[in-house]
Amino acid sequence: MTRHELATRNLTLRYGRATIIDELALSLPAGQVTAIVGPNGCGKSTLLAGLARLHAPSQGAVLLDGNDIQQLPARELARRLALLPQEAIAPEGLTVAELVRFGRQPHQGWLRQWSSEDQQVVHRALAAADVDELADRSLDTLSGGQRQRAWIAMTIAQQTPLLLLDEPTSALDLGHQIEVFELVRRLATDGRTVVMVLHDLASACRYADHLLALRNGQLVAAGPPGDVVTTDLVRRLYDIDCTLIPDPATGSLLLANVRRVGR
Amino acid sequence: MTRVLRVMHSSIPAESGTRQPDANPLRSRREDRSRRVIAPAGHWRLAWQASNGSGGYSLLIDRRSFVAALLLTIALMAASLAYLAMGSSSLALGAVLPALVGRGDLMAVFLIQELRLPRLAAACLTGAAFGVAGCLMQTLARNRLATPGIIGIDNGATAFAVASVVGLGVSLAPPAMALVGATTAAALTFGLAAGGGTRGYRFIVAGIGVGAVFGAITQLLLAKVSIDIANAAYPWTVGTLNARPAGAVTLLAIGLAFGLIAALWLTRALSLMRFSDAVAAGLGLHVARRRWQVLSVSVLLTGLAVAVAGPVGLIGLIGPEIARSLSSSRGVPIMASALAGALVMVLADLAGRVLLSPIEIPVGIVTAVVGGPWLLWILLRPASRNLA
Repeated sequence: MTRHELATRNLTLRYGRATIIDELALSLPAGQVTAIVGPNGCGKSTLLAGLARLHAPSQGAVLLDGNDIQQLPARELARRLALLPQEAIAPEGLTVAELVRFGRQPHQGWLRQWSSEDQQVVHRALAAADVDELADRSLDTLSGGQRQRAWIAMTIAQQTPLLLLDEPTSALDLGHQIEVFELVRRLATDGRTVVMVLHDLASACRYADHLLALRNGQLVAAGPPGDVVTTDLVRRLYDIDCTLIPDPATGSLLLANVRRVGR
Repeated sequence: MTRVLRVMHSSIPAESGTRQPDANPLRSRREDRSRRVIAPAGHWRLAWQASNGSGGYSLLIDRRSFVAALLLTIALMAASLAYLAMGSSSLALGAVLPALVGRGDLMAVFLIQELRLPRLAAACLTGAAFGVAGCLMQTLARNRLATPGIIGIDNGATAFAVASVVGLGVSLAPPAMALVGATTAAALTFGLAAGGGTRGYRFIVAGIGVGAVFGAITQLLLAKVSIDIANAAYPWTVGTLNARPAGAVTLLAIGLAFGLIAALWLTRALSLMRFSDAVAAGLGLHVARRRWQVLSVSVLLTGLAVAVAGPVGLIGLIGPEIARSLSSSRGVPIMASALAGALVMVLADLAGRVLLSPIEIPVGIVTAVVGGPWLLWILLRPASRNLA
């Protein structure tokens, strides 16, 4: 899979007069998993929406391979960049296979509604997300974790080199979270660039190659989690003190002895 | 350019092993068995290959929706036949078809060709237009209550048309006025729902408010003029096929042809609009542009249909509802909504003409009597699906 570079140049995103993202310049490493973390209201979901062109910049630009994404046709963008928003709503009664077939939409046309390529890609996407057993089940009947994997299967079927996920695990229990994170890791191993907004710093340390820490719409830290996550960063982001210890099995950082600042 | 046409039956689960033998021996030899394309469950796949090797073409036809459209077509034809035969003076079914082509009893020919056929055409066109407009608006708002009749577009069109009737003595151009009214009401509804978009109850509540205001304006206009002029404008307020402004039907026919083609062309976009906006955009839909197109077609069809029949907006609720219950839930049933809308309109007008004959009940009243309880049923039904 060809690698694509996603970057921002002086990106400013506003809601009305409120500036959510302020002149942000960053680039996302290709073929890696990037996690965007930060406190509530820091603008991480807005940044993701901006990267996916759901939110037009007030200033600056989002660049895909050096080109402003605002200039790309919608379908062209959807062939390069897939998005799973936080509140993904599907028509009622849709089955998993039908949902995943929608992922082929950007590749299809009026006279090209179902090709052998479509069939193979959907088949592989169902298998990759481990939902092939559930293909004929209605989405409404699935557990949260299964449903999330079905949605990710849809984005896989889009065959985009870039995948943006907005809090893909926020409503899931621990077991289902791990299912989704391991799927994300497999996708990155296949060469995809994955960007996800995450609430949980420890999960970000465990599953991301690259971390972007935001506070008040500005970048506080960027780099591999092991390099950038310090007790000082945690204090700046969340106003808490903690002790950072490496996970005995994986070496990724864990937050221990978490308490409010000054206690 | 020679093409090989291939129809493949599917829905057969891949593992059931009942694959159809390939019609083309050349292809089956050339193609690896595992690469054989199987239509997704519940579809027919039509595929053909351009001989110059520029790649394959394929169409998917949803079987259930196809059958639904076929059934509705047959039902519409049967209802039309009954419509032509029944009335204050009934004709034998056997006399209807000859009279259509100008044979047989002169009286029957006159009755069919001059009286009933034009009215049947008007019923079919208005019903289809209301049906498609309703289906489009429901999909746009992702809410089955959001039909042009309920969000005030009908009332806007009516108020403007009545204004033209009472203001100028004769109807200058009710179709044009109705179109302007429909557009005004839609614009107001959008303006008032600003920020909320077309999704959610804010849009619907704003529409109901706009509709109420235009309804009141219509009443006010009627109260201010003499009883004769009010009588002339009365058909506009209830919805009837009895008083069709000249030219309005032709205009509707042209508008419907355009609107139906546009709506069918938008089908793929409409099926994406049933997802939340972010998902639809992520799948390559230009959400804002498509929304404007869908809204424009819906308002156009509503305005032109109101210009012919007045506010019979409940057709826009009932038609798509029938279409959806018959069609598969995978797509947006544009064609079936048109057919079901036409069917309901034809049946309602037939009932209005026949039930209390020789007194004629305006079709708007018939649909209200049927549609009111229907609306309540939708609201009260326990497993009410939001849309589609």
